[in-house]
Amino acid sequence: MTMTTAHAHTLDIINLNIALPRGQRLLRNVSLQLEPGEVRALVGESGAGKSMIGKAVLGILPHRIKRTEGEILLEGAHLNVMTPATRRNTVAKMSALIPQDPLTALNPVRKIGPQITDPLTRIHGWSHQRALARARELLDRVHIRAPDRVMHSYPHELSGGMRQRILIAAAFAPSPRLIVADEPTTALDVTVQKQILRLIRELQRETGTAVLFVTHDMGVVAKISQKVTVLFAGRVIEDAATRTVFENPAHPYTQALIAATPTPNVSAEPFQPVPAALITELHRETLAADALYAQRGRR
Amino acid sequence: MNQMTHPAPPALFSIRDLRLSFADRAHKPLFGPAPRVEVLKGLSLDIPEGRITGIVGESGSGKSTFGRILVRLLAPESGQVLFDGKDIGALDEAALRPLRRDLQMIFQDPMSSLNPRHRVWRIIAQPMKRYGRGGDRAAAITALEKVGLSGQFADRYPHELSGGQRQRVGIARAIALEPRFILADEIVSGLDVSSQAQVLSLLADLARDMGLTLAFISHDLSVIRHLCDTVVVLHHGEIVDQGPVEDVFEHPRSAITKSLLSAIPRPEMDESWWDDMSEPA
Amino acid sequence: MADVSTNSPRLILTDTNFRLWLPLFWIGLIAAAALFAPLIAPQDPLAQDLMMERLPPFFMEGSAPGYWLGTDSLGRDVLSRIIYGARIALFVSLIAATTTGIFGSALGLIAGYYGGWADRVISRLVDIWMAFPPVLFAVLLVAVMGTGLGSVIAAIALIDWTRFARVIRAETMVQARMDYVDSARIGGARRAATLVSEILPNVMPSIIALLMLEMGIAVIVEAILSFVNLSISSDDPTWGSMIAEGRGAIHFAWWVLLFPLIALFMTVLSFSTLGEGLKQHFDPVLK
Repeated sequence: MTMTTAHAHTLDIINLNIALPRGQRLLRNVSLQLEPGEVRALVGESGAGKSMIGKAVLGILPHRIKRTEGEILLEGAHLNVMTPATRRNTVAKMSALIPQDPLTALNPVRKIGPQITDPLTRIHGWSHQRALARARELLDRVHIRAPDRVMHSYPHELSGGMRQRILIAAAFAPSPRLIVADEPTTALDVTVQKQILRLIRELQRETGTAVLFVTHDMGVVAKISQKVTVLFAGRVIEDAATRTVFENPAHPYTQALIAATPTPNVSAEPFQPVPAALITELHRETLAADALYAQRGRR
Repeated sequence: MNQMTHPAPPALFSIRDLRLSFADRAHKPLFGPAPRVEVLKGLSLDIPEGRITGIVGESGSGKSTFGRILVRLLAPESGQVLFDGKDIGALDEAALRPLRRDLQMIFQDPMSSLNPRHRVWRIIAQPMKRYGRGGDRAAAITALEKVGLSGQFADRYPHELSGGQRQRVGIARAIALEPRFILADEIVSGLDVSSQAQVLSLLADLARDMGLTLAFISHDLSVIRHLCDTVVVLHHGEIVDQGPVEDVFEHPRSAITKSLLSAIPRPEMDESWWDDMSEPA
Repeated sequence: MADVSTNSPRLILTDTNFRLWLPLFWIGLIAAAALFAPLIAPQDPLAQDLMMERLPPFFMEGSAPGYWLGTDSLGRDVLSRIIYGARIALFVSLIAATTTGIFGSALGLIAGYYGGWADRVISRLVDIWMAFPPVLFAVLLVAVMGTGLGSVIAAIALIDWTRFARVIRAETMVQARMDYVDSARIGGARRAATLVSEILPNVMPSIIALLMLEMGIAVIVEAILSFVNLSISSDDPTWGSMIAEGRGAIHFAWWVLLFPLIALFMTVLSFSTLGEGLKQHFDPVLK
């Protein structure tokens, strides 16, 4: 593991560009930093590239992505210059993923217990007792009654909300430096979503884990994050403190996303679609950025 | 989008004590019948004509099942389902067929609700043909234009369209028959925020222009608030709250409605949102 | 919106090459041979000439012009016999595979769509039928019905329909749960009409893939039956009987065995991969 000078940031992404084999870019010069213990929301509509950033950091991009440029530093370690094996090792030790779909993220033919303890023993080198104790502790922490019974159950015997809580427990168990939460509440009921968001917030404060929280819901952004990065077509449109973005959004697209989010407030304005002119303008900017990129001869 | 009504409009649907249960095959003992799970536990409500009624609840509340009974994709076990005064609950397929023209539906998943092997115009035109209401390519294009899609979409296949466009084709298919009632089952749940807003305002405009009665199923209270005139809140197969939207949202009677409302994360800075204690499920 | 199947065109082309164009080429070749056999076969496949026995193929010493792949121990031209053998191979496989395909798919569609007792009856039937060892069954059937092409076709058709029934039943069950089927019901379609106009087009790619596979299997079964002399009884050449005869001559006239074997292998391989290739070619575009 190569360490450069000690960095203040847990995660540093510098000019990340990801392209398909034909050259079409999915991420366009994305840069962001994550402070220790901070929650940063990555927000945008589908296709904006928000999931891609998390996957690039964790090294789980789809195979068809051929070209990656830019730097990713995890606690100062340059991930992009490591050998694949070293990189996998580093990422596994320092980070974790809370996926979107609790149904497919758990192995249906294995019991819950081993699915939590295996990474602890294999990757982090814990003893079996320690891993078991930690698993029980966290299952309790995520409000799962009868943790022992759950550890001996199979995923299909549990509800969706429970499975998501198990995945959260598993992610936080080794107290990782970074967690990528990839739309973890999108498939959940609104009351369950609130419980899950509360859990993530509490646990990350306890363990000091920084969280990259991917979502398309501006409401969730307002509640869970301290910083937010707004994305469109793989480009960073706005990057600021959450409070700033909601009290004084700089970019019209951010304002449009907020205005398009329905709220139950009876007296509020009806929500509005993002103006077509704005989208056209953003697409134009994207094309211009691509032309510039091509000109620099980086192809 | 909301219409404050003065004299109450007549009820297009009159439902009394509707019950439905399913056999729980997962817990079927080796010998003997599977235990029954009650999904709808005696629902009674009216759906006013010409208005948009929201049906909201969390997963497992029975809202989708209820919707499917309204359009008779499912049959009720007991209770009365009066459509325009006629009990459609017990009718067989042959008797239902002439009525189906007035009971249309728009589905949640735009990918699976359009036959991937049929072109768009055929998808829209086919039901029209069956009911002898034209159903040629020109009629399909008219319907497409009503939902804001140009004629060039007529010859495309569903996989060539975006999610929002597919949903609009679904709407076109439903309105092409000029039905009296349309059930919209979570039709924007899978869409982006901007597509969502477009589809919803399209639906509201069409409903108003065509005098449609709409039942809008959703788990998203915010969407219901903006689209619907009245709302019915379901929980575990029972109605826990119903009434005009403003009433139910400003003065929720049931604890369920209150917890649903308070759980919604609004796009604004508000630390007090975290304060209420919701018990873990 | 653009369809997403064109991300890496070069890669897809190579895959399609092997799974679509090469098999199509070979089968086209074989089909042309079968159709135009009298025109393209250099010699009469039945003509025996003991003066020309066991001549090697053209690339070896001692070959005779006009006998490209050599001759067998009765002086008959191997290439011409392979060309005429293609007729029987393709004829049998086409008729047998289509018959069994239609019958099996129909049962699978009915079982998958209507469910209930129709499904139970058909599924039990499939289970029982599949319990018979297929080749043994074929041999028995032909022994009972007498040799001849009709028996061979009937034997294949009677045995292999279960393959179709099982797979198509499963596919039908998946499609029957799709919203577009409910949508057709809402649109006033009758049950049977829905099966044909909505579900069948979506199940067709699987039927075609299985059909191709089945044609390959039919060729093999015919070859096995003619190998054991249970196929046609006349002198007409079949690849299986050529292989049987070639066994005896393998040490001094290996070409008599090898070339029909290659023809058989290539044909069956082409059918098998063509099934997958066709399905892949048409399906991803529509998914």
